[in-house]
Amino acid sequence: MADKITSPDQLKALAEKAKAGIDLRSGRKETQVTVHMGTCGIAAGAREIVAAFMTELAANGVSSASLHQSGCAGLCEQEPMATVTMADGSTYRYGLLDKDKVQTIVVNHLVGGTPVEAYLIKT
Amino acid sequence: MHDLSLYLLDILENSVRAGATVIATTIVADRAADRLSMAVEDDGPGLPVEPEQALDPFFTTKQHKKTGLGLSLFRQAAEAAGGGLTVDRSDELGGARVRAWMRLTDIDRPPLGDVAASLATMIVTNPEIEFRVVVDDDGSRTSLCGPDVPLRLSELVSFQKALA
Repeated sequence: MADKITSPDQLKALAEKAKAGIDLRSGRKETQVTVHMGTCGIAAGAREIVAAFMTELAANGVSSASLHQSGCAGLCEQEPMATVTMADGSTYRYGLLDKDKVQTIVVNHLVGGTPVEAYLIKT
Repeated sequence: MHDLSLYLLDILENSVRAGATVIATTIVADRAADRLSMAVEDDGPGLPVEPEQALDPFFTTKQHKKTGLGLSLFRQAAEAAGGGLTVDRSDELGGARVRAWMRLTDIDRPPLGDVAASLATMIVTNPEIEFRVVVDDDGSRTSLCGPDVPLRLSELVSFQKALA
């Protein structure tokens, strides 16, 4: 048995979360966010980064982006990392992510259109 | 890895990368036998190499890497808790099958962790794949399959708490 829902607010929150998850699952969109989930990424916290992107994309009403995962990108020391691919095909690879950085990336880059230079991986 | 749900996530990623379209996860706690077992099987192409080679930490199918640590780390964790890990072909789905087991009460058994979060992560990022889940705690079984799996993952919470 799951935990009991004891208030309308809890039920509403659960419904909103499910709705956001279904929306993110509705195929590739013009902007794609790919979280790298090889063994290195998972050990470094990639699962929490996926959850953070889900939360922030929903919270900021970003309906033009879809969320994906892939394996190790070969830059294990930069994990957890994510690649943002824009509609024009340009790609931005962010490394050493945490929840706060994800929020900044969603707000500044995916909503505002300005990549967050400080978090980009320099290669 | 902190807990078993992260090893599970790693194995699920292997199945996704192999091109599976159906991935089934089974976790069973048998308290009388003091055994916790976990299996992930898929309908992908199966192992491209002999099972023992797949468990070699210095073997990987990826072009840009020289190590494949996921399965070997999981085997090490299982063996440390009095168990083991095997890889072979799935009878039911025809692809690869990874099975791990360990003593349920072993002091070195990693905690189960957030299995629902690992499954949710893979479901959200791989909408084209069918995920099936069975968890069983001494005969108390929860089985999830079909399109409503993401909406029913909360049903795994009590199982997770019992095996934390």
